Amino acid sequence: MKIKVVENVLKKNDNAAQENRVLMNNSGVLSVNLMSSPGSGKTTLLQKTIPALRPDYRSAVLVGDLQTSRDAERLSNLGSEVVQINTGKGCHLSATQVSEGLKALSLNEISLLWIENVGNMVCPASFDLGEHLRAILLSVPEGDDKVAKYPVLFQLADVILLTKVDLIGVLDFNIETIREDLSRINTRAPLIKVSSKTGLGMEQWLDWLREQLETQND
Amino acid sequence: MHEMSIAFELLEQVVQAAEQNDVTKVEEIELEVGELKLIVPEAMELAWETVCEGTIADGSRLNLTISKPVAKCCVCSCVFEPEIDNYLCPRCEKADVIITRGNEIILKSLSCETKKENSSQ
Repeated sequence: MKIKVVENVLKKNDNAAQENRVLMNNSGVLSVNLMSSPGSGKTTLLQKTIPALRPDYRSAVLVGDLQTSRDAERLSNLGSEVVQINTGKGCHLSATQVSEGLKALSLNEISLLWIENVGNMVCPASFDLGEHLRAILLSVPEGDDKVAKYPVLFQLADVILLTKVDLIGVLDFNIETIREDLSRINTRAPLIKVSSKTGLGMEQWLDWLREQLETQND
Repeated sequence: MHEMSIAFELLEQVVQAAEQNDVTKVEEIELEVGELKLIVPEAMELAWETVCEGTIADGSRLNLTISKPVAKCCVCSCVFEPEIDNYLCPRCEKADVIITRGNEIILKSLSCETKKENSSQ
């Protein structure tokens, strides 16, 4: 006997994502899902970005990792609420994990929620968390072939941050390769070159964020 | 390896459908997966085999089909079929799209034995 079902297998995740979105909209919170490989500088970028946006915009962070609370510890002295989500063996955050995390935050006191996803360029792309924007990081040491190698992730981006640009020149990295690959994969997202270490490009990144925050408030 | 989390969700739905239909054994699952979900068929089959152990779907076959993506251009509204590494609109040559198909994972059907079938044999 054949039983017809026709059901969305990810409906639990997708429903939770929609609830997260509604909850954040109702609290006037803009959320950004940060996705990249491990070690591309997500946490360091947040360490620089969160203080720079205050006092106009207060942030909170949900940070996903398989193990340890090291990222949460690094972010804990910024005066923002930080919730560490340990996924155990899970290679990505799910919307239900994010909704649990949201319960621990005072959403009415923040403008911006950062969701630092598990470092991985494949799996996080498949799970809607209810975020408003997706920021994809790519660091110079990873190489200039990564946009072409992970097109599905870069296609999702609302903004692409090329991080550790102070290392261009030290390493063989051709930014034109990135631009050329993006011309087929994503022409919507601006490509912003930043160095959290030297501060290069940070103003452009902060301006982009302020623009998004102001658009949301309109 | 997000196949494992998808396999767990799938199993929950298969068990639920089986319970509602007095199923005694699930033999085959028909699953449609959008290409952009980046599912590796071999990994999905292994994940399915693993999560099914000791359940009503133990030993069931996974019949997996991959569906091609469809995109709508945000600049000129042209609807087209992009390649996984090329989202360039054929009309306006921008790569600024909304994916309208290719992100879904759909449980389509179960082939199974039911109590009714067993008693009539």
